[in-house]
Amino acid sequence: MSRDDDSLVVCEQCGQPHRWLPVNKREIAHCTRCEAIIGRGHRLSVTSVLALTTAAGAAWLLAVSMPLLSLSLRGGAETATLLDAIVAAWRSGQPFVAVIAAITAVIAPALYIALRLYVLVPLAAGRRPPGFAACVRVLHQARRWNMVEVFTVGVLLSLVRLSGLADTSPGLGLFALGAVTLLFAAIESAGLKHLWWQAG
Amino acid sequence: MSEASVSAEPARLLGCESCGLVAVDLTGAGAEEPLQHCRRCGHALRAQKPFAVQRTWACVVAAAVLYVPANVLPIMVTTNALQREEHTLLGGIRDLWIEGSWMLSIIVFIASIAVPVFKIGVLGLLAWTVQRAPDWRRLERARLYRLIETVGHWSMLDVFVVILLAATVRFGPLASVEPGSALLSFAAVVVLTLFATWSFDPRLIWRGADATPSRAEAVA
Repeated sequence: MSRDDDSLVVCEQCGQPHRWLPVNKREIAHCTRCEAIIGRGHRLSVTSVLALTTAAGAAWLLAVSMPLLSLSLRGGAETATLLDAIVAAWRSGQPFVAVIAAITAVIAPALYIALRLYVLVPLAAGRRPPGFAACVRVLHQARRWNMVEVFTVGVLLSLVRLSGLADTSPGLGLFALGAVTLLFAAIESAGLKHLWWQAG
Repeated sequence: MSEASVSAEPARLLGCESCGLVAVDLTGAGAEEPLQHCRRCGHALRAQKPFAVQRTWACVVAAAVLYVPANVLPIMVTTNALQREEHTLLGGIRDLWIEGSWMLSIIVFIASIAVPVFKIGVLGLLAWTVQRAPDWRRLERARLYRLIETVGHWSMLDVFVVILLAATVRFGPLASVEPGSALLSFAAVVVLTLFATWSFDPRLIWRGADATPSRAEAVA
């Protein structure tokens, strides 16, 4: 660990420099000037983040391939997957919306999981993967664009709205999406800058 | 308190956005190099995001303009055996309320009306105060920025709902849902407010502020 290099921290939100003091578990360190969070005592090890990311990856594959909800009306039945929603938006003359939905609900989370795995597997073995710095930078961007949690609530809202119209039922994809949302929250609490401390 | 403040004088310290490593700012007066890079990860180090206020204004104004067609045009077109109906954003919220789905109505109202309007207003206020009233309520402004950073992407909710409904309700003339023309403007408003939030630099709020505030001991 190269914590020696990281004896100082500059608040991202206001630029105020601080010196690290030990932060106990369950404690959150705030900037003394603007009160932004600058560090957490709770720390996940490389292997636990790797385990969570692997689980998120598996749940993610189910979430994109399995139906999110199904609807039956007078003998006919329709199911929709995440990709169906994007294709439907594209076909109904909304290519911009389709692209934004694809970025926020598919590409950003997929990139986030894939790059986390690419970085964490070698780190768990004590090595730093090639292109590590670039990966962390792309991870920051992927984290910004990821809106899986919003999409999950969107599926729930659609389900409730459709229940007045016809027989609806949640699909396996929705449960997988819920799992991805929870796992992302856990993984994100580990932060991205810590990857550098763990990279040694 | 977990950290002790250290004085930034005489040299200014910069934190790397990507890896967090702290470096001395070499780009100030008598600059050795125009753009400094992090010595650990190579990421560009900047004391300020470039053209932060201008970019924020540009995105905020564009978002405010596009918010008009997003509300006036239909966001969703529904067809059933009897009729074809166009729903605007506010009309959809009103229909939900009349049907008795108050919770849904409130959720959609918060995500589609309250959050975007609040974001546009706050970003305008932040950009304006940086230029005109730099000393005014810095801490509250910093909190406002963090708030819109956190809630910002929830306004995407209705976009997802409309495309999901369009993908599911596909029974031809019996029942079908199609996205309306307002969806494009609304999605553009959401993306523009995101860009506005990211291009604004919260460090500008603290420009000219005392580095060691009297409130320090209150932040345990």
